[in-house]
Amino acid sequence: MFKVRTGVALVAALVALAACGGTDQADTPAADGPRTLKLWHYEGADSAMGKAWAEAVKQFEASHPGVTVTFEAKAFEQIRQSAGMILNSDEAPDVMEYNKGNATAGLLSKQGLLTDLTSEATKRGWDKLLSPSVQTTARYDERGVMGAGNWYGVPNYAEYVMVYYNKDAFKKAGVEVPTTFEEFTAALDTFVKAGTTPIAVGGAEYPAQQIFYQLALSKAQRPWVDAFQLYKGKADFKGPEFTYAADTFADWVKKGYIAKDSAALKAEDMGVSFIGGKYPIMISGSWWYGRLAAEIKDFEWGTFLWPGNTMSAGSSGNLWVVPENAKNKDLAYDFIDITMKKDIQNLLGNSGGVPVAADTAAITDPKSKELIENFNKLSTSDGLAFYPDWPAPGYYDVLVAGVQHLINGTKTSGQVLDEIAAPYDENLADIGN
Amino acid sequence: MTTRSRDRGYWVFLLPSFVLFTAVIVVPFLMNVGIGFTRWQGVGDPRWAGLDNYTRLFADERFWASFRNNVALIVAMAIVPTIIGLVLAATLFDYVGKKVGPRAASLLRAAYYLPQVLPVAVAGIVWGWIMHPQFGALNELLKLLGMEPRNWLGDPGWALPSVMVIMVWFQIGYPVVIFMSGLQRVDPALYEAAEIDGATWWRRFWHITIPQIRPEIYVVLLTCTIAALKVFGPIFVLTRGGPGGATLVPSYFSYQNFFEKANVGYGAAIATVLTLVIIVVTVFFMRIQDKES
Repeated sequence: MFKVRTGVALVAALVALAACGGTDQADTPAADGPRTLKLWHYEGADSAMGKAWAEAVKQFEASHPGVTVTFEAKAFEQIRQSAGMILNSDEAPDVMEYNKGNATAGLLSKQGLLTDLTSEATKRGWDKLLSPSVQTTARYDERGVMGAGNWYGVPNYAEYVMVYYNKDAFKKAGVEVPTTFEEFTAALDTFVKAGTTPIAVGGAEYPAQQIFYQLALSKAQRPWVDAFQLYKGKADFKGPEFTYAADTFADWVKKGYIAKDSAALKAEDMGVSFIGGKYPIMISGSWWYGRLAAEIKDFEWGTFLWPGNTMSAGSSGNLWVVPENAKNKDLAYDFIDITMKKDIQNLLGNSGGVPVAADTAAITDPKSKELIENFNKLSTSDGLAFYPDWPAPGYYDVLVAGVQHLINGTKTSGQVLDEIAAPYDENLADIGN
Repeated sequence: MTTRSRDRGYWVFLLPSFVLFTAVIVVPFLMNVGIGFTRWQGVGDPRWAGLDNYTRLFADERFWASFRNNVALIVAMAIVPTIIGLVLAATLFDYVGKKVGPRAASLLRAAYYLPQVLPVAVAGIVWGWIMHPQFGALNELLKLLGMEPRNWLGDPGWALPSVMVIMVWFQIGYPVVIFMSGLQRVDPALYEAAEIDGATWWRRFWHITIPQIRPEIYVVLLTCTIAALKVFGPIFVLTRGGPGGATLVPSYFSYQNFFEKANVGYGAAIATVLTLVIIVVTVFFMRIQDKES
């Protein structure tokens, strides 16, 4: 009989060694010696979160004399692919940024790799600071399904998908900011007639599938989202929502709203071409906001929520999680607490992020104000519909492949819907639904 | 001391490599085989699943498609580079080396080898730019020539051929270098005698070069076929198996299951099948080579 556990421990140890590059020091000091808070996150230093958390580290060190913060910058992919093995080893950090959702934080919580933060959340008032829709991604039940059960993570920012637009290009084409779906498609038509492909899309990564999801959401109500994302009921892939999304998406490619050659383009290609003024519209998440603010110099730009939708792809931001194997959990809680404080949240908001517990009066930048106001519109009307790739592990690739077929016209809408339904149903069977 | 007992003493020297081989190859492989019989998400307790993963695997259209794509990549990474490499090596050795000078031949050999030195991620990203549908150099060139631009890596009809062309470019230097070194040990008298007898360049290539460097040809074919079977880096950087699975290969499919889908048992089953295929191919080549020699 082979000993899987021993083997896994060995693999985990190797991965952890490779990940740390041998620079780690032993961080189990004597109780009376100096202590270390081991912190991992993957936000860029110039991003809103990066700036806010650097300030949080400073405040933490000031308020915790004798404690050093050992910060290790990780890549999103690095944590996404090896989190399970690392957290199962002795090399786990004390606090770590981790992706939210059933297939990620939910999976780890189910496997007992994350600390239950429920009592801390109540004691420190995090549960009061976060709106119910933002809290959805913080809590997971025993099956690892979000929305109910214990707290396994704390989000301290939020994100949502919106429409970015080039104000100069809109003005030049005589197009007003659309307020209804009909006005939106009319605007797209105007650009196509003028010989411009209106929407920048990356079909090889998340952007295309998020447009597909936005289209489904235009026909959906909350129970549909709950069925698809939280497994509260049967998700019908051949129902009006997904059928409309697949048909309309294919139609948008045919009509020239989306370039026929965008199947292999990455998200970065999409962003760079919008920044370069090649497309008047880009549909993507608030995570682009800071980058656009920093890099667009040649034209005026703005944002609006997807016209006509009451719901949009969006959720809390990534989570702070405390691994079950963390050695300094008390310090981890203190650090999370600092990131929830008003001044850190205000800094996040003023740097182009979407804070979840900021003082609105303290957000001075007008663009940031618009970003936050739009989020509040969604959040207060229960409009955060999460992301389409969340319901099952590996669903991201399934959707990428499906939407690529729609862009290339290599499969019909019906075939694509069958193709994305199968892995979803398989996962449901796996978790016993 | 008998010869036998004296020979036994040499086993001590093999011990370090035997331990290393067991630790980094045999044990992980056996574990992988074992995990292939379970349902497991990577952490927690694996559940015994018997042959479930294998029955699912053999019914999985994506798995078969990935192997079909792999056959195309064997053509692009082993067969075509071997043929082109043979012609190039013979030309460099026999023609450029003699008429222009050995320095020119060495320089060209180094130039052909350059792609092999480049990290695969760098080469992949650069080719991604060259083949970019909207502002790639290749399409710009085609437009200049009045030809229709193509969506090289994004169109399912073009993606695999595009990857194949890139892999030919990537691989070509390796056979050239090996064959040129092989040609160094061919007795020049053979070529001289053939030349005196009036044999054309093609006849000398066919009747002397190829038979003389046959061992090198086998080595190149074997190593390149194995490289093609386990190709991962270029697919990861260029297409991630897309569009819509058009360039999916078994190693990337296995990776997707391991890391993206947390479907470790299934990923292990794919890896096991891939390993077995590689072992069979290796044994097949070795047998042929043994017979020949």
